Amino acid sequence: MTLQEQIRSARMRTVLVLFLFVVLVALVVAAVYVFFGQGFGLIMALVAVGYGIFAYVAAGSIVASASGARPVSKEEAPELYRTVENAAIAAGLAKTPDIYIIDDAAPNAFAAGRTPEKAYVAATTGILALLDRRELEGVMAHEIAHVRNRDVRLMTLAAVMVGVISMIADMLLWATVFGGGRNSNNQNPIGAIIAIAAIILAPIGGALLQMALSRRREYLADATAAELTGDPEGLARALYKLAVDQHPLQHVNRATAHLWIESPLRDHHGLRSSVGGLFDTHPPLQERIDRLQEMGGFQLPPIPAGGAEA
Amino acid sequence: MSTTVLIIIGAAIVVVLLWLVLTYNGLVRLRNEAQQGESSIDIQLKRRADLIPNLVEAVKGYAAHEQEAFERVTAARTHALEARTLGDKAAADGETRSALGGLLAVAEAYPQLRAVESFTLLQAELSDTEDKIAAARRYYNNVVQRYNTKQQSFPANVIAGPFGFGPREFYRIEDDAERDPVKVEITA
Repeated sequence: MTLQEQIRSARMRTVLVLFLFVVLVALVVAAVYVFFGQGFGLIMALVAVGYGIFAYVAAGSIVASASGARPVSKEEAPELYRTVENAAIAAGLAKTPDIYIIDDAAPNAFAAGRTPEKAYVAATTGILALLDRRELEGVMAHEIAHVRNRDVRLMTLAAVMVGVISMIADMLLWATVFGGGRNSNNQNPIGAIIAIAAIILAPIGGALLQMALSRRREYLADATAAELTGDPEGLARALYKLAVDQHPLQHVNRATAHLWIESPLRDHHGLRSSVGGLFDTHPPLQERIDRLQEMGGFQLPPIPAGGAEA
Repeated sequence: MSTTVLIIIGAAIVVVLLWLVLTYNGLVRLRNEAQQGESSIDIQLKRRADLIPNLVEAVKGYAAHEQEAFERVTAARTHALEARTLGDKAAADGETRSALGGLLAVAEAYPQLRAVESFTLLQAELSDTEDKIAAARRYYNNVVQRYNTKQQSFPANVIAGPFGFGPREFYRIEDDAERDPVKVEITA
């Protein structure tokens, strides 16, 4: 696929995943209705919306402190600054995002902040040491692409939705175990079984959709980055180096995994998830490199088998 | 029956109006983005123009007799500052690039000059500005491509003309300058 085709395809798939998300929420709402009727369902909906808004607001600015990032001046890191400035200009952002450095030997980078005006990008000292200028340009363009594509807001929303679905499911399960459901005596049993199944499966489905969305946005950010720098090969070379690198990242948790250039959670000892990466936040690095090669018309050697999996 | 017909006609009018508003606003947004992209190019071109006098001075201190190179750069700078249309700006941009290339080639011949810190700083600054001009140009051309595609494709093209959304020019610098960009490698 060419660059424009890849961008279009990633956008379409995003819409598809979001649609499935809406279907999932509708299913959960239907399950609540079947179980408890309108009155209790309404109360639950209010609690869920309240929780969602709270979670969304609270998720605002915890990322930088949680990952041990410190702000850095242009004098301290001129090359990093320039690459970010250039990518921001190419993306047409009104202002260059704030720039942070994380003291960590593992090479990685992320973007955060819900609006382009409040966005910031961070890079580890490891990635600055590992990559040459061209590769760093590719990586920072990928981060700026996340900013321009409003991915942080999208992924925060997805995380909050999954949280809300899980919360409702927990409440329903709890109510089922201890109360048997207020209206359950006049419901048909098949409906109740479907509702229970929905309650159990909804959080898993939500998590799967969240990860699928994250992977779509990674492909999109790669394609956008290639558009910003006009150099898909720079990013591909960077991803190749990241694949071969063996440092594990220190400040990591599942909640912020989707923000990084490559998955910070990857296993360095070859143990792969048995469900074929369905719960991965990032597509495999080899697949990302392949797509960049397709749009750029160049060829890198395949990642050696000993290299880590993303 | 007549009420049904009226409702259908009413709904159709609403749909058409909605489409009109959305399409119009989309075209306006892209046109503004293109405008913003052009100003972004202007800012970076201005920044390069501001660097040129200092750069010329620095080289003059060591190679005063290379008059031709200085004159070319100064003339190109004047053209760049006087350019008003996008085409003129792009032409002056290409001229400036190739003139600066000549100037830096002259500087290459003077090892003492390359050892002067203020000169290497200017060179680094110039190299950064060249990158930023390229970035601004990429943004502008990407936006113009989206704008032109939208403005020319059906059905948006039906209203683009009457509402004054004409096609926009790409920012193209001359081929030879594009193929041979100013080499401003910093040798430490």
